[in-house]
Amino acid sequence: MSRAEQRARRLLRWYPRAWRERYGDEFFELLLADIAERPRSWSRTFDIARSGAAARLGFSGAVHALPSRERAGARLAAFVAAGSAFVLFGMAIWAQLAIGWQWSRPSTPATSAAIVAMSCLLASFASLAVLGVVPVLWTIARRLVTRRGHGLAAPFTVFLAGTAVSVLGARHFAAGWPGTGGHPWAQQHLLPGHAAALAWAETLSVTAYWAHPGALLGFPADELLWMAASPVALVAAVAGGARAIRRLELSPRVLRFELALARLACAGMVAFVAAACCWIAAGGTGPRNLFHIGAIDFAAVGAMVAALLVARRAGADARAALAQ
Amino acid sequence: MTEPLGTFGRFAGPATLILSSLAEGAKHGWALTKDVEAFAGVRLAPGTLYEALSRLEGLGLIEALPSDDRRRPYRLTAAGAEALRAHLARERQVVDVGLSRLAAKWGTG
Repeated sequence: MSRAEQRARRLLRWYPRAWRERYGDEFFELLLADIAERPRSWSRTFDIARSGAAARLGFSGAVHALPSRERAGARLAAFVAAGSAFVLFGMAIWAQLAIGWQWSRPSTPATSAAIVAMSCLLASFASLAVLGVVPVLWTIARRLVTRRGHGLAAPFTVFLAGTAVSVLGARHFAAGWPGTGGHPWAQQHLLPGHAAALAWAETLSVTAYWAHPGALLGFPADELLWMAASPVALVAAVAGGARAIRRLELSPRVLRFELALARLACAGMVAFVAAACCWIAAGGTGPRNLFHIGAIDFAAVGAMVAALLVARRAGADARAALAQ
Repeated sequence: MTEPLGTFGRFAGPATLILSSLAEGAKHGWALTKDVEAFAGVRLAPGTLYEALSRLEGLGLIEALPSDDRRRPYRLTAAGAEALRAHLARERQVVDVGLSRLAAKWGTG
């Protein structure tokens, strides 16, 4: 294999298998011609990485040639992935605020309102997730019982394994949460302290400490391991779930139900971003600097907005595909 | 009637170039890249080209032809020709208004 062919093969790996099966041969030929003319090109690599990521999220490529129901399923899977990313970053912001409230009430009504709104919205996301998961699990169970579950076992196993690691790991670290340490200022009880601790443990990887390796090395080894392992477990759970949804070929009725939930979730995401902005606009800080706004919070809000845009587009595309 | 290319967002540009190229006849990916580069001075990157191709194919505006070798040619469909005509007519309207206003205020240059 020539060097150009090796390079073209490497670039092709950015795309998902379904895309490569449909376009791989012709795209490989195009890449060979392009590489012959421009042996090295960062802009080509960037373009292919971006377009491959979009194809993996179901926004381009072979998905457009799929029948409408499969296309709607692919878009729903992309919505689930984007929505999960939104909730992860949202929970990271909320956890620090909820923990702050354990110590002391915020000093501004805007921050208090923002934290209460975020708490309610996270609870509503959890309710929507439960409502959305039930018909999917029911469909999986029926497929497995009637022996029509071909191709479902692997993604479903990955989903279960990722979820198990995420839940058990978060429970373990939440149990060792430094928390309020029984301090007399503590126990303001916006919500049970264990819920805040669980959210803190689940989102331990969303931290500015990554930019400060010196400080990071001072962390206990098991906590460092969890900070590295928990995103992998979450990605596995979401990727497994999204792949299972794509392979399930849900009925139009279930898809319509899921997309109605997705629309409600999108409205909730907009409200959540507004609440986070309300906290930021109020200036953070508060008593003992408990509600401080850091660079990681701006980064998290930026990631949430990006996830929201992807989720909205995925939901709209799914509805359009289903209406065809 | 909704203009199909109006739903393309940032792919409307590449899609217009591809349809304009295919209006001449069927072409495969590399021939499309070189043709667009020649008539528009724009080099479509491979990822962008295939994102637009798959969208156009999904909407039935182009279709893939069978091929003996690995390079698959694409050709414009009747719906694609109609969509391109409608899109270019709208673009021409913008061009005409812009040029006439420029001429009135800034002269013909």
